[in-house]
Amino acid sequence: MAKVFNWQLGREMDYPYEAKRPEKQFAMVFDTNKCIACQTCTVACKTTWTPGRGQEYMFWNNVETKPYGYYPLGWDVNILEKLGVQDMDGPVYRGKTLFDAAPQGEVILGYLPDDLDYAHPNIGEDDSSGVMPQGAHFTMPHLQWMFYLPRICNHCTYPACLSACPRQSIYKRREDGIVLLDQSRCRGYRECVKACPYKKVYFNAQTRVSEKCIGCYPAVEGGRQTQCTTTCIGKIRIQGFVNAPDTVNADNPLDYLVFVKKLALPLYPQFGLEPNTYYIPPVHVPPPYLRQMFGWGVEPAIATYRKAHEDPKLLGALMLFGATPEISHYFRVDGDWVYGYDGKQSEIVRVPLREPAVIREVYDLKHKAYRTNIT
Amino acid sequence: MQTTARTFRTFAAIAIAAVMTTTAAVTALAQPPKPAAPAKPATARPSVRAPATTITAVRVPGTGPINDAFGKHWAGARPMKVAMLPQSVTLPHNPAPAVTGLTVRAVHNGTWVAFLIEWKDDTVSDKIVLDNFGDQVAIQLPIDTKAAPPSPMMGNPGGRVNIIQWRAAFQHDIDKGPPTTKSLYPNSWADVYPDEVLSANDARPYSGALGLENPISRGRATPVLDQFAEGWGSMTVKPDQHALGSGVHRNGAWHVVITRPMASDDQNAPRLVPGDRTVAAFAVWEGGAREVGARKAWSAWIPVVVAR
Ligand code: SF4
Ligand code: SF4
Repeated sequence: MAKVFNWQLGREMDYPYEAKRPEKQFAMVFDTNKCIACQTCTVACKTTWTPGRGQEYMFWNNVETKPYGYYPLGWDVNILEKLGVQDMDGPVYRGKTLFDAAPQGEVILGYLPDDLDYAHPNIGEDDSSGVMPQGAHFTMPHLQWMFYLPRICNHCTYPACLSACPRQSIYKRREDGIVLLDQSRCRGYRECVKACPYKKVYFNAQTRVSEKCIGCYPAVEGGRQTQCTTTCIGKIRIQGFVNAPDTVNADNPLDYLVFVKKLALPLYPQFGLEPNTYYIPPVHVPPPYLRQMFGWGVEPAIATYRKAHEDPKLLGALMLFGATPEISHYFRVDGDWVYGYDGKQSEIVRVPLREPAVIREVYDLKHKAYRTNIT
Repeated sequence: MQTTARTFRTFAAIAIAAVMTTTAAVTALAQPPKPAAPAKPATARPSVRAPATTITAVRVPGTGPINDAFGKHWAGARPMKVAMLPQSVTLPHNPAPAVTGLTVRAVHNGTWVAFLIEWKDDTVSDKIVLDNFGDQVAIQLPIDTKAAPPSPMMGNPGGRVNIIQWRAAFQHDIDKGPPTTKSLYPNSWADVYPDEVLSANDARPYSGALGLENPISRGRATPVLDQFAEGWGSMTVKPDQHALGSGVHRNGAWHVVITRPMASDDQNAPRLVPGDRTVAAFAVWEGGAREVGARKAWSAWIPVVVAR
């Protein structure tokens, strides 16, 4: 085992390979407060990449309702239970990673789901954490709650899937950190399915090998954001790149959200994979639950989010979500506008920080009719 | 009274099963009945009872592939009991493999050499879905038969080995047809697949490893893969497949034949002539115990003699 630095844990950790950070790292930020679980992303990915035989129940992108939704069934609670209770106080994580917890003779602590665990991709949809008692009313955080968790492969800095493959069929691209599974080389051992704690490698029984999200690399190579990002009607996503923690650029919208404002947090950082999809936590959910899921930065992130309207640069970064199909490598706020730039510093989009709002009179004098808001 | 008799039979069956797992009994494992020993000198046909320490490929008449697990040609081949060991060198380990011994016989006809590999396995594992793995067995031969043998664990850099692997799933593909979503999940339903609405060429990207002709995806003409390796993780399926094989599950055991030409223009295969001495090693996977890849049982090198 090599010693590698995991910035999300604030410490070095053991990993089977030497650290080799890519030139830039594919990353995505999801604003969970805006997600409505319409599954447009899920369908966009499915129709683009996995409509084939043997892929019927394979969703590289899925959206599940937390706390009782899972795809595959129980994926996170199963591995959390195996890992056992860990100390989740930061800024340095002192608990065990999944690599630390590897049983004798294994690369990592993992488990192979049952085939049937994939049979209910939208189980738990819209179920909330409990029943509202008589007379209850909403306070913050909510007494009972639920939220939507969109998920793709995290294109981890220290991928479990890659580390567990005895054939090196999985590789992480030097140029953008996208993690790919070689369809010619895989022999269907399913070590990656077992190892990935996010269960984002799928087995295709028709081809007898495993498959996973490809980070829409043909689009990304052409400077465009992924299918699941550009089709998102809630504009909850932005896809781009993050730099290594020692080369953070505050003018890169993803670096800014993740490293500078610490608004977007990794999913289950304690697993130790340095996952690269980042979540703006839902503001209405009790922090103890969120801390287990997104780490110890949850409360400051929620406080920052609630004040985002007071911070033009932060507001600008958030306004870039869903604003352009192209990848914003850089951004700048000037006056009431935010500008997005591609990798060559050419402007690709400009968005007003505040959308112009028109308030219409309730009574339409011309038509002599009341305007009713039907939404 | 009847109950007592049945109970007794059950006990008797358990007792027989227990004997079957002892070393001595495995050599007799589920073989087709042998013809009575002919009254000839021992040199003509080696005793099938004495435990062998060498696999002797005895000469049999005929030409071409020897691909029948129940053919007469095996009668004169002396069985060798091969001890199978837990793989605990490379990760992941398999500390307690399900199969601890194979029975191996070998014959040749001057142009093809064949190995009959048998082991006890009550269940056939030949359906591959996420949580179902397949039964498999492999024989490994050093390519350079004159040099000192390379590592028995899939060779080593510079020490290339020929590994021929039989897969129960491939045998199923050949005997009963390749898997479809409908055959694996009979109640499944799908509205449309790309290959139903697109040209074959346009639909190919949606067929994953099959579209790339990953040799793991399907058994084609034969249920065996002819491969070479130079150490862990380097297994490569050869572009030219020379080996053949067949497997039959009968009487609670697998009976698998793996056969290959003794000489070919294949640079990644041993060239064998009568009188040669070489070695062979074996690996076996019990699908029902989720054995796959490195999670296997393996053997040390076993001496092999190609009889004149
Ligand atoms: S999320 Fe899973 S599949 Fe994706 S890179 Fe990480 S370990 Fe691999
Ligand atoms: S990045 Fe592309 S391949 Fe991955 S989940 Fe999104 S749409 Fe699918």
